[in-house]
Amino acid sequence: MLRIIATIRKEWLLLRRDKAGLALLFAMPLVLITVMALIQDAPFRDYQEVQFDILTVDKDQGRLGRYIREGLQTGGQFKVIDSLNGQPVTEEAAKKMVAEGKYKISITIPKGATAEIVSNANKIVNDISKRMGLPAQLPVKALSNDSLAVQLYFDPAAKKAFKSAIHQALDNFLTQVETDLLLERIQLQLRNRDSLQQDTFPAIRLKAVALRETSVGEGKQIDVISNSVQHNVPAWSIFAMFFIVIPIAGNMIREREDGSLVRMKLIPGNYLSVLSGKLLFFVGICIVQFYLMIMVGLYLLPLLGLPKLQLGVDHLAGFLVAASIGVTATAYGILIGSVFKTPNQALNFGAVSIVILSAIGGIWIPLEIMPEAMQHIGRLSPLSWGLDAINDVYLRNGHIRYVLPDLAKLLCCGGAMLVIAAMVEQRRIG
Amino acid sequence: MNSIAVKDLQKTYAGALTPSLQGLSCTFAEGTIAGLLGPNGAGKTTTISILCGLVEPSGGTAEIFGIPQTPANREAIKRTIGVVPQQIALFPQLTAYENLRYFGNLYGFSGRPLREKIMQHLEAFGLEKAAHKETGRFSGGMKRRANIIASILHEPKLLVLDEPTAGVDVQSRSMILQFLREYNAKGNSVIYTSHLLEEAEQICEEVAIIDEGKLVTQGAPTELIGRHGHCRNLEDVFLHYTGHAVRD
Repeated sequence: MLRIIATIRKEWLLLRRDKAGLALLFAMPLVLITVMALIQDAPFRDYQEVQFDILTVDKDQGRLGRYIREGLQTGGQFKVIDSLNGQPVTEEAAKKMVAEGKYKISITIPKGATAEIVSNANKIVNDISKRMGLPAQLPVKALSNDSLAVQLYFDPAAKKAFKSAIHQALDNFLTQVETDLLLERIQLQLRNRDSLQQDTFPAIRLKAVALRETSVGEGKQIDVISNSVQHNVPAWSIFAMFFIVIPIAGNMIREREDGSLVRMKLIPGNYLSVLSGKLLFFVGICIVQFYLMIMVGLYLLPLLGLPKLQLGVDHLAGFLVAASIGVTATAYGILIGSVFKTPNQALNFGAVSIVILSAIGGIWIPLEIMPEAMQHIGRLSPLSWGLDAINDVYLRNGHIRYVLPDLAKLLCCGGAMLVIAAMVEQRRIG
Repeated sequence: MNSIAVKDLQKTYAGALTPSLQGLSCTFAEGTIAGLLGPNGAGKTTTISILCGLVEPSGGTAEIFGIPQTPANREAIKRTIGVVPQQIALFPQLTAYENLRYFGNLYGFSGRPLREKIMQHLEAFGLEKAAHKETGRFSGGMKRRANIIASILHEPKLLVLDEPTAGVDVQSRSMILQFLREYNAKGNSVIYTSHLLEEAEQICEEVAIIDEGKLVTQGAPTELIGRHGHCRNLEDVFLHYTGHAVRD
């Protein structure tokens, strides 16, 4: 125990006097998390909270245009702009501004669009009336060869998902207008047929069945939505924790180069106790790092206008996940420190390998949106196990038993890396 | 009893074209200051590494105070041996006191006895005023002296020093050599390697000259000088056996 405590104290003294190392371990990750959460806030809000300006050219001035304008503005996600500098927007001007990227989308409602829908509805009602033996009373326009279309112009840089969402929304409004007008026409025809003066036609509910979303998380129900903070704080915390391999590997190689490792090995007693002290110290540093970054998500990011990080309901599970990630990250550092001969080799390999493991492990972008083959590869990354476990606790309100498989994988991986490091060290004696 | 006894010691490192040791055999008596001398690449460091248990020999045996150097005896041997590496094996960001406290803790010492032991050694080596200064800021001589203290905290019966006076000033060298004499006077054995043959001639009761992994000669410096009429000092003896060709 004395050897372990002495090693922890020695590592603490070494770290305390290494200002650059301290900055790398604590200040840089805090800056990284803040910057990443801020810059990724917009993409995360794309379809949730960000308001887009939509240029609207309403040549129809009828119900269709009104429905589209009102429908788009209802959700608060879109702001309909139909005039600029006091002048109505023309289709040509709208098209040009969208092409220049000043606006993401422009909608042109053609002249006579509502009349066309009304005429179509009248035609359907007249057909039904005729079949029922009633006179066809509603006016119908003569058939036109040109079919009318609501014209959309998208910014060439607009994302496919954004275009698809707009298409669906507009299609919904068109269907709604057509349905409303059709029902109105039926009501009118029936009223004409009725001898009573008052309207006895029952109200028709267009949406008989609604959609309802219910959270499936266990325990206390928290309204957690995936946002920039909820993704970036845990994800980049794991990334930063793994960067501990740089000081650990550097520290080990320096000890080997300056001979202090030889001195430690010449002292009676198992060198494993020295390694255990090192492991405990750096796992402790990883945990401190993790909770510092969590505090950024809890207190600093909300001050910058971002959502507050939600921590789920089982804080012990969160702590165990952080500790397990710390064990794996530290073991990886010890492995790199054992395998590589110079600090430069270890630094380059360590940094690049963490970037690769984090990229494939879903730290930068969620694994779910990667190609299937990459998802399979990504699931081999310890960083993805850590992120999965954190998401289980923070987003799905999971308890310890939910994260046990990921914790087991992290600890087994850490153990395997330590065994390999021991074998490499043993081989050096031979 | 011998402090060390190596017999037919052989070592070829993995991937090496030539062996580092080719059947080295020699012994040093207990309680002496002995010198292990040889040109660069002669096999001195490999021999010391095998004696300490840091390197496994390819063949032959090595004994320390009659105990064979085997994995089973390694811990017992570590308790009797102190090694001063040629490198300054200290943490430069830690003070001399912090370094010595750490290595003392690893030996199992702690608290007041360790503090007193450290301060006593620091005083003996003239480093008491620099106890709380980072060793990275020490002069070459101060580093060498602190390096020795870190190896004697457990008071080993055998002290092995690899070039302990390399790159130090006259005063520090004198202090180190004086310490070795005093340490030996307490009944401890000292083995040291050096390229400074004049120094070895002054301090060693016995020297072994090795070259190309084999023993070329062994004896007291005066005896070796006397064996060859044309040799005036140990350096002449050394050159007589190892030649004038420059070694890499």
